[in-house]
Amino acid sequence: MANKNNINRRQFMGGVAGAAAAFTIVPRHVLGGAGYTPPSEKLNIAGVGIGGMGKNNLKKCEGENIVALCDVDEEYAGKIFDLYPGAKKYTDYRKMLKKQKDIEAVIIATPDHTHAVIAMTAMKMGKHVYVQKPMTRTVYEARKLTEAARKYKVATQMGNQGHSDDGMRMVTEWLDDGAIGPVREVHCWTNRPLWPQGIGRPKDTPPVPPTLDWELWIGPMPERPYHPAYAPWVWRGWWDFGCGALGDMGCHIMDIPFYALKLKYPSSVEASCPTVYLEKGKVKETAAETAPVASIVRYKFPARGKMPAVNLTWYDGCLMPPRPEELEEGRRLPKSGTIFIGDKGKLMCETYGGSPRLIPETKMQAYKRPPERIPRIDVSHEEDWVRACKGGKAACSNFEYAGPLTETVVMGNLAIRAGEKLYWDGPNMTVTNVPAANEYVRPGYRQGWSL
Amino acid sequence: MKNRKETTLRQGNLSRRNFLGGAAGAAAFMIVPRHVLGGAGYTSPSEKLNIAGVGIGGKGAADVRNVNSENIVALCDVDEDYAAKTFKLYPRAKKYTDFRRMLERQKDIDAVMVATPDHTHAVIAMAAMEMGKHVFVQKPLTHNIYEAWQLTEAARKYKVATQMGNQGHAAEGIRMICEWVWDGAIGSVREVHVWTDRPGGRWAQGVDRPKDTPPVPSALDWDIWVGPAPKRPYHPAYVPFKWRGWWDFGTGALGDMGCHIIDVPFWSLKLGRPISVEAETTRVNSETYPVASVVRYEFAVRGDMPAVEMTWYDGGMLPSRPEELEEGRQMGNKSGGVLLVGDKGKILSGHNGESPRLIPESKMEAYERPAETIPRSIGHYKEWIEACKGGKAACSNFDYAGPLTETVLLGNLAIRAGKKLYWDRLNMKVTNMPEANEYISRQYRQGWSL
Repeated sequence: MANKNNINRRQFMGGVAGAAAAFTIVPRHVLGGAGYTPPSEKLNIAGVGIGGMGKNNLKKCEGENIVALCDVDEEYAGKIFDLYPGAKKYTDYRKMLKKQKDIEAVIIATPDHTHAVIAMTAMKMGKHVYVQKPMTRTVYEARKLTEAARKYKVATQMGNQGHSDDGMRMVTEWLDDGAIGPVREVHCWTNRPLWPQGIGRPKDTPPVPPTLDWELWIGPMPERPYHPAYAPWVWRGWWDFGCGALGDMGCHIMDIPFYALKLKYPSSVEASCPTVYLEKGKVKETAAETAPVASIVRYKFPARGKMPAVNLTWYDGCLMPPRPEELEEGRRLPKSGTIFIGDKGKLMCETYGGSPRLIPETKMQAYKRPPERIPRIDVSHEEDWVRACKGGKAACSNFEYAGPLTETVVMGNLAIRAGEKLYWDGPNMTVTNVPAANEYVRPGYRQGWSL
Repeated sequence: MKNRKETTLRQGNLSRRNFLGGAAGAAAFMIVPRHVLGGAGYTSPSEKLNIAGVGIGGKGAADVRNVNSENIVALCDVDEDYAAKTFKLYPRAKKYTDFRRMLERQKDIDAVMVATPDHTHAVIAMAAMEMGKHVFVQKPLTHNIYEAWQLTEAARKYKVATQMGNQGHAAEGIRMICEWVWDGAIGSVREVHVWTDRPGGRWAQGVDRPKDTPPVPSALDWDIWVGPAPKRPYHPAYVPFKWRGWWDFGTGALGDMGCHIIDVPFWSLKLGRPISVEAETTRVNSETYPVASVVRYEFAVRGDMPAVEMTWYDGGMLPSRPEELEEGRQMGNKSGGVLLVGDKGKILSGHNGESPRLIPESKMEAYERPAETIPRSIGHYKEWIEACKGGKAACSNFDYAGPLTETVLLGNLAIRAGKKLYWDRLNMKVTNMPEANEYISRQYRQGWSL
């Protein structure tokens, strides 16, 4: 904070996330008065949840100042703490944000269930946020973060890094070019989960490791005894903490049709999944505790302008869409990816929009690609956000975009849990036909926690 | 065939076998009461059929009960405990453990009901048919595709009365669906969805082979239970009942319920064998069927009926709920359902054609149902008994049930192959993946053959 200059660095650097026009960044030394040590132009970044994906995000921001690191698991985060000896260490993000005033931006890569409370706290303090995907665990939280980003005018980015790749832009340009005609049907799939899903809650209660603050790890969710079945990393399958394969990969894979087809809220969502799970080789009835071992989720999106209504089907747990007839014998569908079915052809791509192809390959070869229209991101997804934090244009997957995408992705989990086809009033965030399902739209927090 | 002579009646010089049998495929003829044939001093034999039951602890108990107006002359089961109740119900029936011994020893058997685990259907039914005996075989007809072909051909060759145990085929629902579809109630049908809630918690799929080897219960003949399958140590994970989930013994949820559920489109749309099959499932292992699967079949154009895409769902997977189905109405019944999607409407029914409705209900109400064109059944078991006695062929005789079973089992072939398979219907061959053909039949354990 350049407090000597009476100019609030926050106000100077921030506030442009939603604004369109970029402006020239004035190097900070220009602002320095007599005796003033030019502050770095670097951003002061804090990382919360640094043992897993957080470390990769921080690595991409090493050109900036990593001033604070926070993790509830000293053991899991140990190596990362060591990598940044200049950063102050914290266990509790609340304490970190309260104590350390030089933090300008926060990278959040905790388990899904704490994304919202951390990001909201940071944004309320005017800090920019980079939040791992899915942005939040629930629809309500995604909506609230989206609104907060607008209100506090901070730079935001969700960690769906494929959104910075060229693939998605190519897909979009080709579809806009009419390469396959109007698209009414989309299939997205992933071979995940790679972690346990469809399991029951463990009954044993091993002691909490001394290096883990279990109370903070649980955060806003209902108290439960510690178990290594949750932390680290394997929390994804548990409804209280994660969003399953859909939440993990949906924000990457569905990102491509969401952007390319200008989708927003779905009009209905329905899901089906296996009704049992396996425990130690025995079949048990599915518990309400975890996401299922596999699922098919069907979304319907209304027409948008000239674009017709779209049926989008999601498959996970090794379930796949029908093999397109256009795909040549011997050519495999990718392990994860998307097929767009248009009136005049089909387009297939991998996760992150990778390797987009019209199929069959003869069509691809014959296709005259349109000129590049959508600006490419010439830096990493993280750096795109850093640029926005410093007053550049909004990052490509800022919350204005990532919020509705996340809402749509986690709506699938709502349908899985409700076990019925749900009709969705997006603007009012309400399931119109199954009132009980609305409890999953906005589940309550444990006492002492709020958004 | 050579055995048929041995069944000649001691008196009257007329082979009861020849008299009673041989009518399955042929025109029905009048049944002459047996006493007419009796000479002097001849005790008029019953007009009743002499039936043997093989595999009587589970579904077989119900099968035998359904024909107990006939003579139950022999009962055979490898599991004395599981079968005890049924043995007790028929004190006059001779008891056997080994079906081969039963067929060899007891010459008065006219007809055999087979309700063993899937992997022994074919060997038992074939042995019986070769001896000229009529057979009622539980669904699925066989464990693999080759066996289904062989039984279908054998039924023709030996001219015996046959019936598969897909009892929904004799019910009203499937007939109504046929008549409505043929009446054009929903126009041309190009898309079909069929589903079941099984296996659910009923039996295990997606599990690995148990490693412990508990002792074989003294009441069980494990060697015969394993039959033509590769030998493996006994485990209660297989028997009784739970064999369905194991590749070596059962046919999974698809085999169990497919012959009921796919029966509906198979008949009403005259599907015949598919041209391609593709399966997507939860993780596949070489021991058990996956926890859940989605299987897609393609059928070629038949006469003026267009090509059809049929999708099967099990283990909790479901098709998309049709927009026409009013809020609050159940899609299908508890066990599954059938959805026929036509150019001009949709028909929804329970798993074996039960309670068919055009949807939405307003369409049903407005629909003027056609006159009944398909004769109603006297009952699935009765049909077979009448066929055994020289009446007309039962409705799900092997000429029908064979191709139906083959179609169902092609889904399992696709699950195993992990690839879309193109099927040469005339030559019983996968055309695009030679290695998949090894699963069409199976190598029988030494001492066993079809």
